[in-house]
Amino acid sequence: MNNGAYLGTSGGPRLRGSAPVFTARALFKTYGTGETAVHALRELDLDISAGEFVVLLGPSGSGKSTLLNILGGLDAPTSGRATWRDHELTGATEADLTRYRREHVGFVFQFYNLIPSLTVRENVELVAEIASDPMSPDEALSLVGLSHRTAHFPSQLSGGEQQRVAVARAIVKRPDALLCDEPTGALDVETGKLVLAAIERANREVGSTVIVITHNTAIAGMADRVLRLGAGRIVGEEVNASKLSPEDLQW
Amino acid sequence: MVKVLDRKVWRDLSAMKGQVLTIAMLLASAITVFVGAIGTYMSLLESRDRYYQDSRFADLWAEVERAPRSLLGPLSEISGIASVEPRVVKDVRIDWPASDLSISGRIVSIGRRSETALNKVTILRGSAIDPSKQNEVLINAAFAESWGIEPNDGIAVILNGRLQTFRVAGLAQSPEYVYGARPGSPLPDDRTFAVLWGGEEAVANAFDMEGAFNSLSFSVAPGSSLPRIVADLDRLLEPFGGRGAYDRTEQPSNRFLSDELAEQRTLALAVPVVFFAVSIFLLNAVLGRLVQAQREQIASLKALGYPSIPIGLHYLKFVGVICAAASVVGIVLGAFYTDGMLAAYRPFFRFPELAAHVPYWVPAVGIALSAAAAGSGALNSVRRVLRLRPADAMRSAVPGHTAKVIGVRLNARAKMMVRGLVGRPIRTLVTILSLALAVPMLVLGLFWWDALAYMIEVQFDRIERADAIVSLTDARPERAVYELAGIPGVLMAEGQRVVEARLRAGPRTYRLGLTGLLRDAELRLPRSEDLAPIDIPKSGILLTTELANRLGVMPGSLLAIDLLEGRRTSATIQVSGLVDEVLGYNAYMDIDELNHLMRQTGLVSQVSLKVDPRQTSSIWPELSKRPRIAGTTIKSVLLQIFDEKVRSIIIIAAVVLTTFGLIIAVGVVYNAARIGLQERAWELASLRVMGFTRREVSNILIGDLAVQAMAALPIGLLSAQGIVSLLLGLRENESFRIPAVISAGTFATSALVVIGAAVASGLLIRWRVDRLDLVAVLKTRE
Ligand SMILES: Nc1ncnc2c1ncn2[C@@H]1O[C@H](COP(=O)(O)OP(=O)(O)OP(=O)(O)O)[C@@H](O)[C@H]1O
Ligand SMILES: [Mg+2]
Repeated sequence: MNNGAYLGTSGGPRLRGSAPVFTARALFKTYGTGETAVHALRELDLDISAGEFVVLLGPSGSGKSTLLNILGGLDAPTSGRATWRDHELTGATEADLTRYRREHVGFVFQFYNLIPSLTVRENVELVAEIASDPMSPDEALSLVGLSHRTAHFPSQLSGGEQQRVAVARAIVKRPDALLCDEPTGALDVETGKLVLAAIERANREVGSTVIVITHNTAIAGMADRVLRLGAGRIVGEEVNASKLSPEDLQW
Repeated sequence: MVKVLDRKVWRDLSAMKGQVLTIAMLLASAITVFVGAIGTYMSLLESRDRYYQDSRFADLWAEVERAPRSLLGPLSEISGIASVEPRVVKDVRIDWPASDLSISGRIVSIGRRSETALNKVTILRGSAIDPSKQNEVLINAAFAESWGIEPNDGIAVILNGRLQTFRVAGLAQSPEYVYGARPGSPLPDDRTFAVLWGGEEAVANAFDMEGAFNSLSFSVAPGSSLPRIVADLDRLLEPFGGRGAYDRTEQPSNRFLSDELAEQRTLALAVPVVFFAVSIFLLNAVLGRLVQAQREQIASLKALGYPSIPIGLHYLKFVGVICAAASVVGIVLGAFYTDGMLAAYRPFFRFPELAAHVPYWVPAVGIALSAAAAGSGALNSVRRVLRLRPADAMRSAVPGHTAKVIGVRLNARAKMMVRGLVGRPIRTLVTILSLALAVPMLVLGLFWWDALAYMIEVQFDRIERADAIVSLTDARPERAVYELAGIPGVLMAEGQRVVEARLRAGPRTYRLGLTGLLRDAELRLPRSEDLAPIDIPKSGILLTTELANRLGVMPGSLLAIDLLEGRRTSATIQVSGLVDEVLGYNAYMDIDELNHLMRQTGLVSQVSLKVDPRQTSSIWPELSKRPRIAGTTIKSVLLQIFDEKVRSIIIIAAVVLTTFGLIIAVGVVYNAARIGLQERAWELASLRVMGFTRREVSNILIGDLAVQAMAALPIGLLSAQGIVSLLLGLRENESFRIPAVISAGTFATSALVVIGAAVASGLLIRWRVDRLDLVAVLKTRE
């Protein structure tokens, strides 16, 4: 649509790609009213380019998840505007947002959100079945290094393995955007690295634009760009000259 | 810490409003039916017992042609007889110009010492008669009310062929006519049958019975053997035309009342008890599943270190609040139900007072049983969860690989659905069973209409083909049939012979009017169970199935018959077949054979008529003018009474059961759907996050419900037929036999209601899925 009108007011330099895929302008998100009102986002502006790997840092309660959910079409801001390419994310109908998530977005959350009654392969197939140009579930599973566990149920896997299934499920549709909210929050270092490696491959090989929320500043080394949130605003931004591979991260 | 859990009770209650409400309604329905039906039964029993006691209802009766008062001495000396009361009881006709139909009546003499008499006549309005006056009578309230007769009105009575006008002193009631049906008529018709009580002298004079009596009633010393006294009485009374003494079980009004109470016991008791049992099973299942759905919460409470008992108590409180609210509603509605039923019985059973007497244990038991069912449902689930180690409880079980078993390639969502069903087979079975039992809950209410329609068709169309049955004052030659056949508009007339008889098979006896039919009779067609007409045997006797059961005989058995009229002969005769009837216990034989047993030929005592329906307005008055007619039973009138009285009793029960059946069926289906959603909300929200549409997501759940409902329907329909047959098979009763007939319409309606409830619940699921809070789900793990 007319997202070009905001190009000039970009919040930061664009390292990869040219036009921003995600834009946010003056986003507010307020829970409740009056005395008890909580402002999760306050006049937040943001631009993210195609194929960019962005890490979002910030203290607990700073609004990271809220922002990610709005960009992923799961939540609506109280005011302001958010777009993805030519998709208007604010004010879109529920059906439009569903189609947006279905066609363009992959999610990975701290809790793996796998369907317990489906096997590993079936959890991935579930998404492949409704995607327009999916990779094969086995390919997605081999990208996360789980080709040998496809017939197991989630309850038979470790947390890290479950999280890698969640990543495979998110990338099987070759998502334009891969949104991850604390994907390593519940995992140890080595397992966390495996999961991050899977996310990184998606960014590199599928070309997904990736946003990762984390409390682990070490992970920021993987990013093209690191955004810091504080009290509902972007309070800092760093651009990494060179990205580290997950194996080289130290924490 | 208990305080916090208490707050959770209220929060859970309000969070699950819909479910809590439907469960409470289910429970309230069950308690209402339980309290109402048992209350009705207990009230009828209590009213009867009190009335019989207060009015000194006799223990034994005997009728004779005529016996002198000098016989009273020897009678009272029979050991075991506590008191004897002689009376004159005669059939009369009432000359009541306002009525098209002939009105028959019975006049009973009352002595001067009527205050201490047996079968005390209670004056409801007006005053007692002055025994010194010859022209005063009391009249039964049922007849008086149906014609608007007031004390001091006049009434013309044909006594012994002479017309005499009496002053009505008062409206009265006696324990002998609680159920006031004219002899020979299966139903009480207040408009065409009157009971009159007159002064001893007046009645005796009218019938030339001074110093004599023709009817006796006795009270018996406690502990005496009735059969022995009956035998002694019969011996003493034989020379005076004794018709055989009989006790309360054969006293017509009491017999019908007992039968009706037996009917109540099975229908208004067994049906509600089954209804109640099914409801509390459903309650148990629904609450069990509701608690099961809180598995994670229970596990985390336990993981937090809460001991099992406070956790169990917490859920008991939750159930307790629901039970308490439902009990209050159930008791109040149950009281209304009792009052409604008793109001329907009042015109049927004439007790001076028919009030609710519901013992405290009835609601107490109803509530205790339902609370136990609800509590155990909840506690079982809590216990099952607590038995698990917290880690296991918080992790879901490994489901089986079922897709291959089914053999069809299913998509992942279909697999989710199938595994949801197959992976927890017990829960699925209980849900299917609960949904299935919703069907009989509805059928139990709806089938009454089918049964009534069937009863009316069979009894008043197939079996009884005559439009009117004229009873003659005494047995007369066949000429009487031709006389009636000659009335313009009478299309067909058939004579019958009815003789009062006692049937005996070993120790079992039954007294009835034994009917002799023409071999080729067309106006009364006894039928077999499959409704095929049964020929009247040349020799031998046909019994209704219930009568045969009561006497313990089968086709081929020999039966002793004591004829209680005329020469009082006895004979042994073979049971040649069984017939099925809805109304009454009956026995049929060939009219010639019966006359032969009476040592008579060619006599008839009643005449069945088929008439031109356009001419009834001239035929009925003509009949009431003819002499030697004791009374006429008109089918359309009988049908009307059946409709007014029997129907009203049945319909109240049916409406109540249907309404509550509906509430329960909807409640069960709704809860199955709601709990299904609750159990899977997290999964479904995850699917929504992944981009599945609302329709796709709700279809998983709706499919789940649909599969269970489809599995449930055939089970439900079969179990409905089974439950109804079982209930109606329990009964032994003679007033009317309600057949286990369930029409296709009733089945279809019940199934459609369940399907409808499922569809509505499906829409509700859709509505709920549309409102799933996706973001909230992401913050928790399952
Ligand atoms: N449903 C809600 N109702 C009220 N307040 C909410 C709700 N959801 C989030 N908040 C508030 O909004 C603010 C931002 O929440 P958000 O989940 O975005 O934080 P976050 O940065 O992701 O924190 P964390 O790192 O702990 O996950 C918080 O103060 C939170 O309390
Ligand atoms: Mg967060």
